[in-house]
Amino acid sequence: MEQQPDCSFFVRTFIAKKPNSHFLMIRLNKVSLRLGKEGGTSSVQFDLPSFEVVAGEAVALTGPSGCGKSTLLNLVAGLRRTDIGEVTVAGVDLATLRPAQLDKHRGAHCGMVFQTFHLLAPFTAIENVSIGLRFGSRKRSNVFKQATEVLHRVGLGDRLHSRPDQLSVGERQRVAIARAIAGGASILLADEPTGSLDPDTGKEIFELLCKVAEEDGRTLLMVTHDLSLASKLPRSFDCSGLVQSGMKATAPGGPPK
Amino acid sequence: MSFLAMAWRYLRFRWLVSLLTVAGIALGVALVCAVLALRHESERALSRDAGLYDLVAGGKGSPLQLVLSSVYHLDSPTGNLPYSVYERMKRDSRILWAAPIGLGDNYSGYRIVGTESHFFDLPDRNGEPFFRFADGQEFKDRFEVVLGSQVASSSGLGVGDSFFGTHGLVEVPGAEVHRDFPYRVSGILAPTGTAQDRAIFGTLASVWEIHETEDRLHASIQGSALLEGRKEREATAILIRLKTPGLRLWMADEVRKETDGIAAVPINEILRFQRGIIGPVQRALLFVAAAVVAVSCLTVLVTLYQAAERRRRDIAILRSLGALRGEVASLVFAEGLLLTGGGILLGLLIGHGGLALSAGPFRDATGLVLDPWRMPSAELVALGIMGLCGSLSSFFPSISCYRRTPIDDLHLTD
Repeated sequence: MEQQPDCSFFVRTFIAKKPNSHFLMIRLNKVSLRLGKEGGTSSVQFDLPSFEVVAGEAVALTGPSGCGKSTLLNLVAGLRRTDIGEVTVAGVDLATLRPAQLDKHRGAHCGMVFQTFHLLAPFTAIENVSIGLRFGSRKRSNVFKQATEVLHRVGLGDRLHSRPDQLSVGERQRVAIARAIAGGASILLADEPTGSLDPDTGKEIFELLCKVAEEDGRTLLMVTHDLSLASKLPRSFDCSGLVQSGMKATAPGGPPK
Repeated sequence: MSFLAMAWRYLRFRWLVSLLTVAGIALGVALVCAVLALRHESERALSRDAGLYDLVAGGKGSPLQLVLSSVYHLDSPTGNLPYSVYERMKRDSRILWAAPIGLGDNYSGYRIVGTESHFFDLPDRNGEPFFRFADGQEFKDRFEVVLGSQVASSSGLGVGDSFFGTHGLVEVPGAEVHRDFPYRVSGILAPTGTAQDRAIFGTLASVWEIHETEDRLHASIQGSALLEGRKEREATAILIRLKTPGLRLWMADEVRKETDGIAAVPINEILRFQRGIIGPVQRALLFVAAAVVAVSCLTVLVTLYQAAERRRRDIAILRSLGALRGEVASLVFAEGLLLTGGGILLGLLIGHGGLALSAGPFRDATGLVLDPWRMPSAELVALGIMGLCGSLSSFFPSISCYRRTPIDDLHLTD
């Protein structure tokens, strides 16, 4: 296996750097949506008055379980639609997009990394990455060449043809990161990417994410419970209170920062 | 990586379920193909044989039995007609060609058919000679015989070889061998694809001679050429080609009125036989085959639904990567098409391969020569319907994937 790159340097420089422009990459304004069945006992209300992220910024989304961190991530990815309010990603109001356009927009701008990796079991590492380049707006030529390059970049040059069950959990997450960045997405959405990893591996993965975001100037939104990791990012957004059970809040207040 | 390649990988990943599904479809398709092809080929073969003659005259009995015994060399003869009936027919200007046949003996189960040398002048429906000699020539002397192609190939006899006939129309252990009357092969016929390929043709005179000599022993055997106590020579049947085939029924009626025997129109009897006896059996088999195919299509439906259910997370992942709803639906549809297509191809191979393997024994048993790889139009229609059912079975799970929202499935664990 290739030697893992030491990402500490990149994290430090990332923290030191300011966002590289003032272009608002992500903007949520007076967003409100109901989660769960209408009137059901598990029905909850998500309210977010305002949330903005400029291009190239790295933001940790923190808060207790069920507070709405993942919902916020999914709103940005266009996997959820709002009932009220505006979600603008890469300059496009997602509410104006039809489902197919939303899929394409997500493919073009968002790379997603999940806690449980979400690799496709029948496929090798290189195939998992290249499949990400096969669909929607990501359709590219030379996908295997691109996938190879990206996998080398995340330190898996010697595991190209291994299936997920032949990889360690850390390696699986590296494949997932490679898949997320392979399409050239300008936004990385990481939903507890270190949640299934031991502390050392988690730190490596965190640093790798920071590195690839920093090097490419990508916007990074990372959901994490690990406050020590969150503190290493330039900005942290506490999602506590975004979700309230029962009826809709009448006057959503600004989330604590 | 194309949709088909991805679909193939998913099928390989759960290979046992895929294999069982394909096997289920293949079984149904094989049954349908085999039944339809067998029906078509047997009809074709039966009609080909039946079409050789416009009329068959013989002793009183079942017209079908008369046709089966004299045209297909199956079943027992109905009885005999006086040879004089044939001599009268020879002079009838309405008859293009007529030949008497006499049965009674066999060699290794192949019937020895006594006839006259002009039997081989039988024209086909285009006016060309129906029989061609692969080797040697027609018989000239009493105990010379001409072998049908199948007899020659299975017995290994060649021109100039000799053999003894055995009494009776079928091979029975312990049956009397006519060791005083050796036959000598004078010629071998080229394959005709009809029951004539498994017959041995000799002179009617030789049949008479054997049975006149041993008539006391054989008088009870139906089909012997000379019945005890009667000196008039007889023929088992008379095969007739008319100058005008439209006169068949009229001539048949004439034979019934003017002789003690009957006359049958082979093609009519065979069609009746097919519709009355073979038809219902084939319909029952087709029904079973259709039921198997229906179950197979349901299996595709269930398999794909289950696969789609198991892959809700994978499909959600693909959607999170930017895959369009139509793309993931296409992926599931491609899986269904691969399963259905694989099942149909395998079924075709098994169905027709099975026919190819059984064509030899079938020919030996019935004399009907099948072309196992010929696909009748009914089979193409059936395959089209099965393909359509398979596509529909694939369509519904793919629509289910199309409609699914990925967010609920993304948090499913591996």
